[in-house]
Amino acid sequence: MQGNDHSIVRAVLAGDKEAYGALVRAHSAAVFRVAFRIAGNEADAEEIVQEAFLRAYQRLDKFEQRSTFGTWVYRIAVNCALNRVGQPGIEAEYRYGEESDPEAKTVQVAAQDADPERVLLGREVSAAQELAMQRLTATEKCAFVLRHLEERSMGEIAEVLGVAPNAAKQAVFRAVQKLRRELAPLRGNA
Amino acid sequence: MKHLSEEEQLDIYYEDGSEESKAHLKACRECSAEYAKFKRSLDAIKPEAVPTRGADYGEQVWQRLQSRLIPYEKKAPNWRKWMTWRAAALAAGCAVLLAAAFVGGRYWEHLRASQQPEIAGNGQPQQRVVLVVLTDHLDRTERLLVQLNHADAEDKAESAQLQTEARELLASNRLYRVSASKEGDPAVAGALDRLERVLAEIANDPQLTATDLDRVRKDMNTSGILFEVRVLLARKPNQEGGPTSAKGVSI
Repeated sequence: MQGNDHSIVRAVLAGDKEAYGALVRAHSAAVFRVAFRIAGNEADAEEIVQEAFLRAYQRLDKFEQRSTFGTWVYRIAVNCALNRVGQPGIEAEYRYGEESDPEAKTVQVAAQDADPERVLLGREVSAAQELAMQRLTATEKCAFVLRHLEERSMGEIAEVLGVAPNAAKQAVFRAVQKLRRELAPLRGNA
Repeated sequence: MKHLSEEEQLDIYYEDGSEESKAHLKACRECSAEYAKFKRSLDAIKPEAVPTRGADYGEQVWQRLQSRLIPYEKKAPNWRKWMTWRAAALAAGCAVLLAAAFVGGRYWEHLRASQQPEIAGNGQPQQRVVLVVLTDHLDRTERLLVQLNHADAEDKAESAQLQTEARELLASNRLYRVSASKEGDPAVAGALDRLERVLAEIANDPQLTATDLDRVRKDMNTSGILFEVRVLLARKPNQEGGPTSAKGVSI
């Protein structure tokens, strides 16, 4: 696959635009998955997928043949997602009832919870988790998603985020601390 | 005994923990209990279900993306690339040669300018031409003076020929004299000055009689001038070190 991807990249750079379609078809699902996990909603994830493949195409002449195209476009997608999550206008459609009193916290989930799986797992737990995730910084969220959900190594996370491995580790640690603190009342109730 | 920090527990959870930490976790009941709580809290954070996408999802992405892509320009064939490089190298080489020629020319001019006085002293082709011309003039003058010293006073035709020759020589003699004066050669300038007076006397005499010729010979010491001319003719070639055939003086 890797060798095939490289030959397709060469064809695209030689002027065959249509060949890029094969790369998009092959890697769209993986890119969508990570985009959704970081962005937290389908609409943003779709836009991230488009943006990632567009950016990859525009920078294809800088693609180093040492890595696979899949890994490369994955990193670009994470960066796109990071930028999107970091934008102040992009906020989850959640609102706290009372911020000051943790005991009296209520969760209001807007629109998206028609998913039957979520209903089964427990609407409150799932929503609280999502809410806690939204309260992380963009870097913390990205680092946590990559480590905890995508099971990427610290080295990979550091490379994707463009930071030192120790800084990536610290970002994951801060995210875990915040999430545990946020979800502690829920664990107490359980 | 130091218990495990939250960071060390996190390392163990993600299987990055050190052997020391793992050994401590096994040995310490308190840390084991703490880690169990830590693990439960993290295990509870499960990945959110990613919305499913159909098999044609990649195709859909491609269809939306396609119109936004601008095709890359076709790469030039290798031989064209090679030719381009070759042309560039050739152009660069020409530029270097031009620059070298320019700098070399400037240097050469500078060198020539600095050596000019020395060259002038050594006698250059231009100066040699002047010397040859002056030598011719002195030759003709020598012949005229010899003719004058031995001229038959009664032969009017010979007198008329002397006058014609003297007139021709007078004009050129004046130029050589002025040049010699400018060049600062008093010996040549003096000799040419005395010669000029003799030539002027012969050229301007309305009727060159035997008496006139005799007077010119005696008063103007034509034999002495002839001797001077011969000395000049004999002296210069040795001094210049030029061609042996070129007799004359530096002016």
